[in-house]
Amino acid sequence: MTESVSDLIVIGGGPGGYVAAIRAAQLGLSVTLVERSHLGGICLNWGCIPTKALLRSAELYRLMGEANSFGLSAGSLGFDLDQIVARSRAVAGRLQAGVRHLLKKNKVTVIEGTARLIGPGQVAVEGQGSLTAPHIILATGARARLLLGFEPDGRFLWSYREALTPDILPRRLVVIGSGAIGIEFASFFAAFGSEVTVIEALDRILPVEDHEISALARTAFERQGLHILTGATVTGLTKHEHDVEITVESGGQTLRLPADRVIVAIGITGNVENIGLETTQVRVEKGHIATDSLCRTDQPGLYAIGDVAGPPWLAHKASHEGVLCVEAIAGLPGLHPIDPKRIPGCTYGHPQVASVGLTEAAAIAQGYTIRVGRFPFAANGKAIALGEVDGLVKTLFDSTSGELLGAHIIGPEATEMIQGYAIATTLEATEADLIATTFPHPTLSEAMHEAVLAAFGRALHI
Amino acid sequence: MSSEPRQFASPLARRLAAAAGIDLTKLTGSGPHGRIVKADVEKAKTATPPPHPAPIAASPTLPAPAAPAASAGYTDLPLTPMRRTIARRLTEAKATIPHFYLTVDIEMDAVLALREQLNARLAPDKLSVNDFILRAVALGLRAVPEANAAWAETAIRRFTDIDIAVAVATPEGLITPIVRQADRKGLGEISAEVKSLATRARDGALKPEEYQGGGFTISNLGMYGVRDFAAIINPPQACILAVGSADPRPIVKAGALAVATVMSVTLSVDHRTVDGATAARFLATTKSMLEDPLRMML
Repeated sequence: MTESVSDLIVIGGGPGGYVAAIRAAQLGLSVTLVERSHLGGICLNWGCIPTKALLRSAELYRLMGEANSFGLSAGSLGFDLDQIVARSRAVAGRLQAGVRHLLKKNKVTVIEGTARLIGPGQVAVEGQGSLTAPHIILATGARARLLLGFEPDGRFLWSYREALTPDILPRRLVVIGSGAIGIEFASFFAAFGSEVTVIEALDRILPVEDHEISALARTAFERQGLHILTGATVTGLTKHEHDVEITVESGGQTLRLPADRVIVAIGITGNVENIGLETTQVRVEKGHIATDSLCRTDQPGLYAIGDVAGPPWLAHKASHEGVLCVEAIAGLPGLHPIDPKRIPGCTYGHPQVASVGLTEAAAIAQGYTIRVGRFPFAANGKAIALGEVDGLVKTLFDSTSGELLGAHIIGPEATEMIQGYAIATTLEATEADLIATTFPHPTLSEAMHEAVLAAFGRALHI
Repeated sequence: MSSEPRQFASPLARRLAAAAGIDLTKLTGSGPHGRIVKADVEKAKTATPPPHPAPIAASPTLPAPAAPAASAGYTDLPLTPMRRTIARRLTEAKATIPHFYLTVDIEMDAVLALREQLNARLAPDKLSVNDFILRAVALGLRAVPEANAAWAETAIRRFTDIDIAVAVATPEGLITPIVRQADRKGLGEISAEVKSLATRARDGALKPEEYQGGGFTISNLGMYGVRDFAAIINPPQACILAVGSADPRPIVKAGALAVATVMSVTLSVDHRTVDGATAARFLATTKSMLEDPLRMML
C-alpha cells in the first residue's frame, strides 16, 4: 500500500477533470488525476468528438451526392462504414494522446485506476494504494440513462457506444429520444441510407430548443426522409431472430415498428455510485451531486463539476466549472458563478442547431416584454453561394433594456457562429452594440447582424 | 484627449443605470477588472441610499483639464471626480433641503481696532478678520448648541464638539477643511490652523479626516468685495454662514446719521433641523461677540 500526498486530487479525466487539473497546475498546485478508462472522458472518446468525425463523413457524402448541382461529377458514389468508423476512432485516439501530453507537460500525476473516497481528503485507488489531498474534485461524469426493457444487449439495442462502432449499417433504425445525441445519430445513419424513425415522448424534437427552431428542424429532417413521432412512448419490445419489433403508443394509437437496431438516447445520469459518497456529507439529488455556485459540495474540501454535478450536460460547461472550481480553491479574487443563460448549446445534425440564452417561450414566461428578430439564410448571399439556404437566425431582446435574452440559429455553420452571440451576452452587449458591429461580407454571420436589425424593424436585406 | 480615468461598464449596465438614474461612478464593478455589469446596477437599484451623502473628497491627483478644442465654439472640460461630487452634493442640497435665510448687519469697527492692536504685537504674524468671525461663530454655537446640528433623516443630530468647516477655494473646486473644537481655541491658534489648512487644501494635501465631518460652515467672499450672498447648505449640516465685505456704510445711531464699518452676514438654515427663532438667537449672539470683541477674549 503506497500513499501519495498532493494539493488536489481530481477523480475523472474528462473535459471537466483534465481541464481542472491543468488549471490547478498552472496555479502552482500539485495535482493527481485518477482516470479509470480513457483520458478525455466520454466527450472525447465516445461522445462529442467521434460523432463529429462521423458527421463529417455524412456531410461530405451528402455534398458529393449534390455534386451535379455544383457542376461537378463524382462518378459512382460509395462508402465504407468500417473506414468511416475507423477514421472516427483515429480522431478520438489522436485527441486522447493530446490530452495525455498536456497533462504531462503540466506535471499532473496521472493514475489509471478506479478511485473511491475513503474519508475526508482521502482516496483509495483500486489495487494502487491511497492518495491524500486537502481538496478533491469529483468529475466522474455521467452515463446513458437506461430505459426499462430497452437495456443495451450488445446486439439489437445500442447505447451511444455501440452506435459509434456499429457492426452493420441498419436498414431500419429506431432512435428513442430526440435530444442532441439522438438527433445526431439519426442524422448520421439517415445520411447513409438507413430508414430512421425518431421517437420522442415530448411534443417536439430537440425539446430544449426554441419551439420555432424545433419545428423547422422537424420539417428539415422529415424532408430528408426521417420519420418523427412526437408525444410517443415506447411500451414494448419483441426480439426476433434477426430484428426486433417496438410497440409505440402515439396519439391514442398503437404502432408496431420493426427495427434492425435501436438506439436509446433518453438522457444521462450522473456517475455517483461506487465512488464512496457514503463516507461523506454529499447530497445526491435526481442522480447528480448537489453543489453551490462555486462547485462546492456539502462536504468541506470536496467539489463536483461537470455532468456528475447536474445539467446542462455539456463538455464546455464541465470545463468552465473545472476552471472556476480550481480558481476558487486557489483563492483567486473576483470569481463569478456560471450563468446558465450564457452557455451555448449545439446539435450537429443537418441542419445544425445552436442557441444561447432563453427561448421565446421562456422569455415570455419569465415576464420579459420581448422584441423578436428573424432572418432567413435564403436572403444571405454567402448561404446562396454555398447552396445552404435552409434555416434562419432568431434573436430575442428585452424591449426596454435592449438586453440580448436569447439567440437561436438553425442552418449552415450554426454551431460555429453561435459564439458571436455568446460573447455578446457575456459582455452584456445591447442591440445598439450588435448593430454597431461590422460583420464581414460575404459571410453567413451577416444573417446574425440582420436578425438583430430585424428585431428593431431595421433589417436591410429582407 | 481626456485624461479622466475610463469607467469600465458593460453597455447593458450603462443603459440600465441611465434608465434608473444611477451614477455609474458611484458603483463598484464586480466584473473582470472591476467592470460594472448588470448585476451591480441591479444591486444598486435595490440598495437603500446611505443616510449621509459622502463628504466632499479632494483627490490629490486631479487630472489636468482638457486642452481647448481649436475649431469648436466651446470647450468641454471633462469632469474631475471632485467636480462631479460637488455637482451632485450641491444639486441634492439645493433641491432637497428647505433652506431659509437670515441676514444681519454687524458693525466691525471694534474688531478692526482690536485686530490692529493685536497684529502690532504679533508681527510678522497677522490675524485676519475671518479669524475673529470664526471665533465669534464658535462662541455663538456654544451659546446656542441647537444650531450646531445635522439632519440625520430619522433624527436631529446635535454635535457635542464645535467643529467649524471653512470653505476654501482651490483651482479644482471648493473644499471645506475643519477647525476642530474651535470654541476651545484662542484667536492665534485658530489663525495658524486656518492658514495651514488653507495652504494644504490648495495643494491638495489634506487628509480625509481634515475635511470630513464638521457641524457648521463659514464661507467668506468679503475679500472679493461681495457685500452679501446666500450660500447653499453643506449637508448634513444645518447652517452655513455667508460672510460679505466689511465696508464703511451710513448707519443711523441715536437718531443721527453716522458712518460705521458694517459687514453683512447671511445664515442659510435647514428648516428641518433649526427653526427661525433659534437661528436668529445664534446670529444675535455672534453679532454681539463681534461688536464687543473683548468678550471673545474671555
